[in-house]
Amino acid sequence: MRSSMTILFILFNLLSYFTWSVAKKIKDEDFSEFDDFDEDEFVVEPPYSPGANQLSSKTQSNKPEVAKVDDSFQSLSSKSADIKVNDEVTIDDEDDDLMFDEEEFETSDGYSSSSPATSTIPDLKITEIPANLTSNHWEAYHCEAIMLLLLLGYLINFLLGRSKNARLADIVYRSQRDLLERNFCLVGDNGQTRTTQSADDSTVNDSTTNKMQKESESLYILWCSGRTAIESMLMEVRLAKRQCLFNSLAAMIKSSNDMLIYTADYSKEDMETFVFCLAKKHCAAKLHRDMNDLSQFCSERKTSDKRGLNNGNYQILSEIGEVSSAIIDNRVVDFIEKYPDVLEYIHISDQYTGMKIQNDTQQSSPNTTPNAGSTAQQQDASNTSERSVRHVLIIAFNLVARNSRSLEITTETVGSDYLRFVLQLIDRVNSFRFTLKESKNKAIKNRQRIEEQFLKNVYQQRQEQAQQRREEKRRAEKEKIMQSDDPERQRKWEEKEHKREMKRRQPKMKQMKVKAM
Amino acid sequence: MEARRQPARIHRFRPALITQTDDALPEYMNLIGMICSMCALMLKIKWCAWIALFAAIVGFANARATEDTKQVLSSLMLSISAVVITYMQNPTPMTIPFFQ
Repeated sequence: MRSSMTILFILFNLLSYFTWSVAKKIKDEDFSEFDDFDEDEFVVEPPYSPGANQLSSKTQSNKPEVAKVDDSFQSLSSKSADIKVNDEVTIDDEDDDLMFDEEEFETSDGYSSSSPATSTIPDLKITEIPANLTSNHWEAYHCEAIMLLLLLGYLINFLLGRSKNARLADIVYRSQRDLLERNFCLVGDNGQTRTTQSADDSTVNDSTTNKMQKESESLYILWCSGRTAIESMLMEVRLAKRQCLFNSLAAMIKSSNDMLIYTADYSKEDMETFVFCLAKKHCAAKLHRDMNDLSQFCSERKTSDKRGLNNGNYQILSEIGEVSSAIIDNRVVDFIEKYPDVLEYIHISDQYTGMKIQNDTQQSSPNTTPNAGSTAQQQDASNTSERSVRHVLIIAFNLVARNSRSLEITTETVGSDYLRFVLQLIDRVNSFRFTLKESKNKAIKNRQRIEEQFLKNVYQQRQEQAQQRREEKRRAEKEKIMQSDDPERQRKWEEKEHKREMKRRQPKMKQMKVKAM
Repeated sequence: MEARRQPARIHRFRPALITQTDDALPEYMNLIGMICSMCALMLKIKWCAWIALFAAIVGFANARATEDTKQVLSSLMLSISAVVITYMQNPTPMTIPFFQ
């Protein structure tokens, strides 16, 4: 569809160019007096009709008038001998009297004397000169030329960038396809077809077709499901925006990598309750600031002292102490040593709620009551006492060229290594359980604390909403009463309001009932 | 390895599960495109029309697949019409006010 749109766009571009060139040919009558006249272009026209005569005489009269006025057209006066005026042309314009005053117009005698002799006088034909060739030449349109060149450059960059991104995504898919097919029952799903591809027997399951979904020119996703230990895994190939020239130029200043992000979703029973993150330094700061769960559960960032990680590149954010040593085992360290700078971050959490800014939108996610009819109900439903948390393992890799090979070749060779690492970590997280009792207690305590905070917020919000609704109702009532024009009703209502205010202002007294002996 | 596959644990894809990013570039470009087109058409400013065209094309290049193509296409058409109409009204070359 994108290719058809680009073809459409190119066609419209051509159309606009032609329209523009046509517009140039429209005679600009306002500037006709400044037009450059050439002797060859003046030929006398025979009178077609009175109307036409008037027009032709006017234009003819205008041109000699200008010739007289403008000194730069001195050549015209010398060439005026060549101008032949048709005697039969009727002159209605008052200015023409000046023009055809025989004393001023030198050559008129010659013409009047010769006119009877010359019955076949060639007519004056005034050719229409395109406006751009008279006053403006093509060089004057240099700004437009630059714009069109920029546009063309952008389009070419778009096509090249798009094809490169598509090629990269395809390479990633092909390098991991076999391993994915062996681990997952369902590889590739858009969530919209009635049956999944694996259940559909009618279509031939062609292993060469690319089952990745294109979300944009720089984002390709692949959904995998049907495996032990996890519910699903989403693979996102987030590439640099090569299709946009401005993004590519911005990337020269602030470098952006191609990334491969795996998000594995666990069910509640599949995962222990902890929040952990291993990330590169700059990334760790950003995640700690932006991610809800990391900011709530992990208090500080620590530099790891394990072998391979002790050069200070990576930082750890961990809620429970024993998790770091359990998760960052030899396999992780070996991977990091083998592929330095590839692992961007590992984020494991049973309280994942996304980024802080999007928390408002996530609260109205599918945790609503089934009968949310009116807006008020819907608003209430969005503040349910259940937070929509996910149990996730997120691993992000940088796709970088290694050993002076191209990015494509590197990706092809290491694609399956990355996936193998991800699957090993998935199984490791699935099998890990706390060994120390205090870890479990700490986790429970933390979660209770956050849950209480959340409930308090929800309660506060509900109070505010109820208060707002009450205010609105009162305002509506007041409006109605004021508009009713009944002083009696108004007075009664005001009394009622006054009583209500007094009751609210009074401190609430607790009543104690004494039982009679 | 084959023992890992579990048909019973198949779940369908939900678009909400894609990691959200803060990328609002297509929306900004759409907005700039429309504002500049209106300026160009009403105030007859040529460079506005060209900027509108660029904004529409950048918005098109960065659009997500889930976005409505009608929106992108209408923005593009509006900017092209702004350029064409501005030149038809006044065929003289463009002058950039900051440089002259």
